[in-house]
Amino acid sequence: VELVTNVAVGFAVALTPINLLFCFLGALVGTLVGVLPGLGPVGAVAFLLSLTFKMEPASAIIMLAGIYYGAMYGGSTTSILVNIPGETASVVTCLDGYRMARQGRAGAALGMAAFASFIAGTIGVIGLMFLAPLLGRAALSFGPPEFFSLTLAGLTLLAYLSHGPMIKALIMALLGLLVGTVGMDPISGQERFTYGTLTLRDGFGLVPVAMGLFGVAEVLDNLARSGSQSVYAAPIKNLLPNRRDWQESGRPIARGSVLGFCLGILPGPGPVIASFVSYAMEKRLSKYPEKFGTGIIEGVAGPEAANNAATAGSFIPLLSLGIPTSAIMALFMGALMIHGIQPGPLFIARYPELFWGFIASMYVGNAMLLVLNLPLIGIWVRVLQTPYAILCPLILLFCLIGVYSLNANVVEIWIMLAFGVFGFVMRRGGYEGAPFILAMVLGPIMETSLRQSLLISRGSFQLFFTRPICAALIVVTVIFLVWPMLRTKQSEKLSGSP
Amino acid sequence: MRSKYLVAVLLFAFAVLVFLAAGALPFGTARVPQAGFFPKVLALLLMLLAFLSFIQPRGDREANQGSNPIPAPNWFRLAIILAALAGFALVLEWLGFFISSFLLMGFLLRAVEAQSWLRMILISFATAVISYVIFARFLGVALPTGILGI
Repeated sequence: VELVTNVAVGFAVALTPINLLFCFLGALVGTLVGVLPGLGPVGAVAFLLSLTFKMEPASAIIMLAGIYYGAMYGGSTTSILVNIPGETASVVTCLDGYRMARQGRAGAALGMAAFASFIAGTIGVIGLMFLAPLLGRAALSFGPPEFFSLTLAGLTLLAYLSHGPMIKALIMALLGLLVGTVGMDPISGQERFTYGTLTLRDGFGLVPVAMGLFGVAEVLDNLARSGSQSVYAAPIKNLLPNRRDWQESGRPIARGSVLGFCLGILPGPGPVIASFVSYAMEKRLSKYPEKFGTGIIEGVAGPEAANNAATAGSFIPLLSLGIPTSAIMALFMGALMIHGIQPGPLFIARYPELFWGFIASMYVGNAMLLVLNLPLIGIWVRVLQTPYAILCPLILLFCLIGVYSLNANVVEIWIMLAFGVFGFVMRRGGYEGAPFILAMVLGPIMETSLRQSLLISRGSFQLFFTRPICAALIVVTVIFLVWPMLRTKQSEKLSGSP
Repeated sequence: MRSKYLVAVLLFAFAVLVFLAAGALPFGTARVPQAGFFPKVLALLLMLLAFLSFIQPRGDREANQGSNPIPAPNWFRLAIILAALAGFALVLEWLGFFISSFLLMGFLLRAVEAQSWLRMILISFATAVISYVIFARFLGVALPTGILGI
């Protein structure tokens, strides 16, 4: 009964005209971001974060969430039609989706991608609805040592799951933690590394740094790469999958939804990993694995379901523990904190209308996306044909205005540009931005909980091994730190043996 | 390959710099850690990782990257674009939002891919007007007015 009441409260919030409008705008902008190359969902959320300051908290988070799952939907369109993923979670959709388009089945691939995303998104929201309150209640018993261990394990797991060598991700995480120390010390209030700059007293702003790393750096990186793309030109018809398509896709969608939701909860790029794991799983379970990659619908349905379910799952650690597990969740945390709302174990109890309104808006948003994606596919194809030479100046200008509009402060533009150049250089060297931004957000939580833990234990680190949850998380951290080293040693041995 | 060592050396130097800069902050003790505790520990860890990345052989994933190297970017074009963005930051409050946006758009449109003058002027003007309406009118952002008063 309590659940029904809560859901009813949620729909009452989500179905207000203003929240419906922001949900629609979020889904629309998200699809646009997913379709267009050059600005990923992280950059888009960072950019629009500055516009949500004057909104009600519920409207703000509803719109930003719409962008996130909208981008997951939109990303599949470019994968299928151009063989270029709009965002990383749609990379695997290229394998069979693009082949299907070449065989004249673009409509079926696009339609199934939209339906699979809708079904999985809805399943993910149901999971979020049940699991987040449970975890939130369990986390009420967490103290500073648990929060320190949780942030440490989260960052290590993210580094482990990142692309490229783990050491690079760890270096980015350390740099992010260091940047997070700039400003007032969270305990004593003493200024650190501000050098008299007023803007830095509260630390580096999340928005200028994120827009630099994910907006400016991404545009510079795209400009650095040459090459043109050709959009699939044939008319797109038969968007509704036929009975055979449904028969072949039913199980991959169900499996992808459950798998994606579970993987989404873990730290790291959940939707990306979920889509790859789903593809591998479907290939292994298939009676005809050799056909994967030649244009079969299971290769589209499973991964598309998985990446959308993962977006819902990734909200769980943020909303119930107050710990973001990816760059985009760090931005959501920033969005809530701007409005004076601290996500964490007490979040659902303190802000039931916000939480349940947000959940209900995700149902509504998923339905809106189905409407946006299928009948409007022609428009998205046209958008896709916008020359990058025009898009790039537009994105850069909006990044500049977006950052300036935060506090009417030119220094924040300089910060964004500096992090843009830093992000670009690091990308070229194979260093990812996600561990950096996540560490920057988690840094103050991590530092405060570590120092409080040491105060409690009078300087003894034993505390982290005597509390069961802490000990388990520390063991997980050590395993993920040591495992890659052991693997490297093993592969060196193997390559050294005749 | 050489860039790998250069990055490692730069990271190490940065970590040393942070450690020295944090020297002015009190470290405290393990019982009562102070403001300098966390930054100094992080700087030491960064030194360690920079050293490890210096001595670490290339992993499989990196080796694969080596066989398919990232093409060298057009540095000159990137430098021009960055200079334009920095120029925008410099003149924004003096020239005002409208003129700065118009000039930046026009410059970037030419710098990224040479557009015709008419197309460039039309797109830049339309962008400046639309963004002014969205930000200043709809969102109520206080954009700098500058010499034109808009």
